[in-house]
Amino acid sequence: MGARAARQLVEAADVEEVLVCDDDAARRAAVVVATGDKATDGGSATDAAADAVLLAGPVGSHVSLAALHLAAGRPVVSTSDSITDVQALLNLDAEAQARQVAVVVGAAFSPGYSCVLARHAAARFDEVDEVHIARSGTGGPACARQHHASLTGHALDWRDGGWQRRPAGSGRELCWFPDPIGAEDCYRAELPDALLLHPVFAKVGRVTARLAATRRDRFSAHLPMLRKPHPEGLVGATRVEVRGRRNGASEVLVLGALDRPAVAAGAVAALATRWAVAGRLPVGAHGLGAITEPVPFLDELAAVGIKAAVFEGGS
Amino acid sequence: MAMFRRALVALGVAGVIAAVLRLRGSGGTPPQQGGWRELSGPDLE
Repeated sequence: MGARAARQLVEAADVEEVLVCDDDAARRAAVVVATGDKATDGGSATDAAADAVLLAGPVGSHVSLAALHLAAGRPVVSTSDSITDVQALLNLDAEAQARQVAVVVGAAFSPGYSCVLARHAAARFDEVDEVHIARSGTGGPACARQHHASLTGHALDWRDGGWQRRPAGSGRELCWFPDPIGAEDCYRAELPDALLLHPVFAKVGRVTARLAATRRDRFSAHLPMLRKPHPEGLVGATRVEVRGRRNGASEVLVLGALDRPAVAAGAVAALATRWAVAGRLPVGAHGLGAITEPVPFLDELAAVGIKAAVFEGGS
Repeated sequence: MAMFRRALVALGVAGVIAAVLRLRGSGGTPPQQGGWRELSGPDLE
C-alpha cells in the first residue's frame, strides 16, 4: 500500500518530492525506481524533514513515529487499522490541537474511504442513529495478516452510549457489496471503525464493523497463516449503511465502493496527506470521518478511478 | 487398529466442528430487488 500511495503522491502536481523510507533497503530501492523522478531514497531515517508524513508500515510501528513527527509539528497520516494503534494515535489529539496540525488516523480504504462515505451519507439525515461498516478483501501481505489476526480477539462496537466487546468471528450477517462481489457473510472482528466514527456522530446509538470471511477463515484464525499471503489482494469492497431520521421519518442509506484495496487505500492515504498539508483537514487526531468537505474529497478520488456507489431500491 | 480409531475420532471431531460452524449464526436475506448505482459528479451532491 505504501508503494501505491507514493505513486499517487508523485503524480500529484502539488507534490515536489516524495522521500521513501523503509528499513528494508531492497524494498525501498524498488519503490523508488518504480515510482518515478520525484521519489528519492530517504534511507531508514525516521526523522527526515518533510511537510507531512504518511505512515504505511506494519501495524505496531505507527505510534512512535507519529509522536516523533508530531513533536516536530508535521501533519501525520496513518494507515494502520489496528485497534491498539488507532486508540494510541487518537490519544495524540491534545498535542495535535496544541500544535495546530492534523493527525489523520485510519486513512486507508476501510477504514478511511468508508469513514468519508459515512460522513457524506450522514449529511442526508437530520439525526444519525446507526452506522454499520462492512468490508471485503485485503490489500498487501500485511493487510492479509491483519485480516487473519482480526478474526480472533474481541470486536469493539459502540452501542447505546457505551463500548461493547464481543468475540471476533461471531455475529454472522449477510452483507451485499457492490458487484461483482455481491453477497458475503460478514462477522465481527477487531476493527477500529467504531473508535474512528463514534466521535464524529455525537448522538449515534450504534456503530459496528464487520469483516467478510469464509468459514475456513474463521476456523483457521486461531492458527498461524497456513500459506503465505498474496503479494497484493484481489478486488475488495466496503459497504457503509447509515440509519437515521429525516423530517421525522426513519431512513436508511447504503453507500459502497469496489476496488483493489491496496490501490484504493494508497490513493486515499495520499490524498489525505495532500489535504493535511493544504490545511483542508481539521486539526487534531481523528479519522477521515471528521472531514468537513467530503464531496470534493470523493470527487478527487473519483478522478483517479475510486468511485462511490449507492444501493437503490432494496427491500 | 489404534491408528484407525484415532482417524475415526478425528473425523468425528471435524464433523462436529463443521456442523457447529455451519449452523451457528442467523445469516440474512439478500435484497430481493434493487442494485448498486455508481455516483459521480452531481450525483454526489
